[in-house]
Amino acid sequence: MIGTGRAIRLVARREIVERIRERSLWVSTGLTVLVLAGVLVLPSALGFGGATKATVATVGPDAAAVARQAVAQQKAFDVELSVRRVGSAAAAQKLVRDGDADVAVLPGGRGLLAAHDADDSVVAAVQSGSQAARGGGLPPPLPVRTEGGESDSNRQGIAFVAVVILYGQLLGYGFWVASGVVEEKATRVVELLLSAIRPRQLLAGKVIGIGLLGLGQLLLIGLFGVVIGAAAGQLDVNGDVAVAVGVVLLWFLLGFALYSCAFAVAGALVPRQEEIQSVTAPLTIVILASFFLSFGALDDPGSTLARVLSLVPPSAPMVMPVRLIAGDVPVWEVALAIALTLAAATALIGIAARIYGAAVLRTGSRVTLRAVWRAAGEQTAARR
Amino acid sequence: MRIVLGVLEPDGGTVRWKGRPLDPATRARFGYMPEERGLYPKMRVADQIVHFARLHGVEASEARAAAARWLDRLGLAEVADRRTETLSLGNQQRAQLGAALVHDPELLVLDEPFSGLDPVGVDVLSEVLRDRARAGVPVVFSSHQLELVERLCDAVAIVRDGRVVASGRVAELRAQRGARRWRVEVAGARPDWVSAVPSVLVAHTDGDAVVVELAEDADEQALLDAARRAGRVRRFAPVEPTLADLFREVVA
Repeated sequence: MIGTGRAIRLVARREIVERIRERSLWVSTGLTVLVLAGVLVLPSALGFGGATKATVATVGPDAAAVARQAVAQQKAFDVELSVRRVGSAAAAQKLVRDGDADVAVLPGGRGLLAAHDADDSVVAAVQSGSQAARGGGLPPPLPVRTEGGESDSNRQGIAFVAVVILYGQLLGYGFWVASGVVEEKATRVVELLLSAIRPRQLLAGKVIGIGLLGLGQLLLIGLFGVVIGAAAGQLDVNGDVAVAVGVVLLWFLLGFALYSCAFAVAGALVPRQEEIQSVTAPLTIVILASFFLSFGALDDPGSTLARVLSLVPPSAPMVMPVRLIAGDVPVWEVALAIALTLAAATALIGIAARIYGAAVLRTGSRVTLRAVWRAAGEQTAARR
Repeated sequence: MRIVLGVLEPDGGTVRWKGRPLDPATRARFGYMPEERGLYPKMRVADQIVHFARLHGVEASEARAAAARWLDRLGLAEVADRRTETLSLGNQQRAQLGAALVHDPELLVLDEPFSGLDPVGVDVLSEVLRDRARAGVPVVFSSHQLELVERLCDAVAIVRDGRVVASGRVAELRAQRGARRWRVEVAGARPDWVSAVPSVLVAHTDGDAVVVELAEDADEQALLDAARRAGRVRRFAPVEPTLADLFREVVA
């Protein structure tokens, strides 16, 4: 009999090699990239969302005149500006830094302060307004200084895309585990496999193989997404995006460790592919609920509900990434969420291995969890 | 068979191999063909057989060589790179056999290996099994094709309701049963001569001959005497029971 490590590697290798050969994997990768490209490119290409709304802070009368001229020309730049007068340059700087203003015109109209993520057309409209206000030929544009980090809305957008991809990947690959288990049951190949290796090795190899494939596909999608986004000018390839990709990869692994064994058990309970939908329904609902709950965290990453949901399984794998990308999370909370998810996954893997071993050879008809659990107990007793 | 391969837990008793209870390591050196045929439908035939060889502990390069050898032997070389599901059922059956044989097992356990095979496949498989047996590998298989079993097997066991009701070499089983059927050919006799013999249970004519079944304690010499009284005895021979006859008798 071959060692456990070797058995797991062989099973995992087969899962990866055979699935890479399936056209469906490449179709799904292509579709995800297309959708991602659509989300990133289409809004600007089609001019969705109408004029870009922005706030211009002004300090003093000269600056206010610049803003007035900019507002007069705003249609040409496809922007919609609202003006806020403030008393000092420091106050204007604070507005920009906090994301409450996109651009500030400094005292005397001598310079601009633009937020890091300020829209180019907004800055252009203000520059044009300044030229109009100063009059006489074409005076040179004002010097621009950027201020502050990105606004929350940019990070929210990234977090939203991240959680949608994470949700799709966790659910999709969970289903792959379930249908892979059912395939072996339905084709009876499982009997041949289990005459060579143990059920635990088969389960572990399958889950690890499919998980690695999911990770690889995510990496590919992330890479394409960043390249397309950067090319379309929709995405500054900056720290936030890199963090988002890293967070998604990490939490895919943690979430997959948590959910995949449950999917394998569900698959082991039914004899035919047709019954996968119904037997995995409870799992789908849990993942879907976690997905929707993560939207709450998107709006307010610091709320008590979001904090609690981001710590405990089964919602942590989708809520914590959103908080990580959209807001700031204390290190101890991240550590706790990872520890709890890993603990839950470890417990679930143990239970799953036991149930899977007892259920996977019952090829005739659907079996209940309770019956399988009892049978697993008897098997363990018989081996002693 | 499933208990031997560890796929099913026994209700009681132990399975021993060379005097020692079976463990997973020993089982992994067995070759198995389940009654419920099963291979990965979408996997290529050669890849599949290599995969099973490796799961049984054969190194990669040797697994590929062994798979190629068996595919050739089983007549599957031309379809080696096709997906298993695209093969005819007979060829899928051969591939299944390849998966059972590829790791050079020290015991072969095959559940109904001949069912679903065409005559050529039956010949190929018979030759492979004989060959394995000659090489010292015990081959245990189940079958309802009793003529084939009779031709192929050294020993048989007849199972009824999960219990062995007869076992041993076919010749021994025949001997135990005793020859109670005789084929008698008598020239110039009246057709009903045999009905006058007292211990005859059943008789039917078969061409020029009469096939007679005698009661258990009857003496065939009495039958011979009666035949000689009826006419010239051309033939008087015991009818060897076939395995099918033995089967009918012990199962009935």
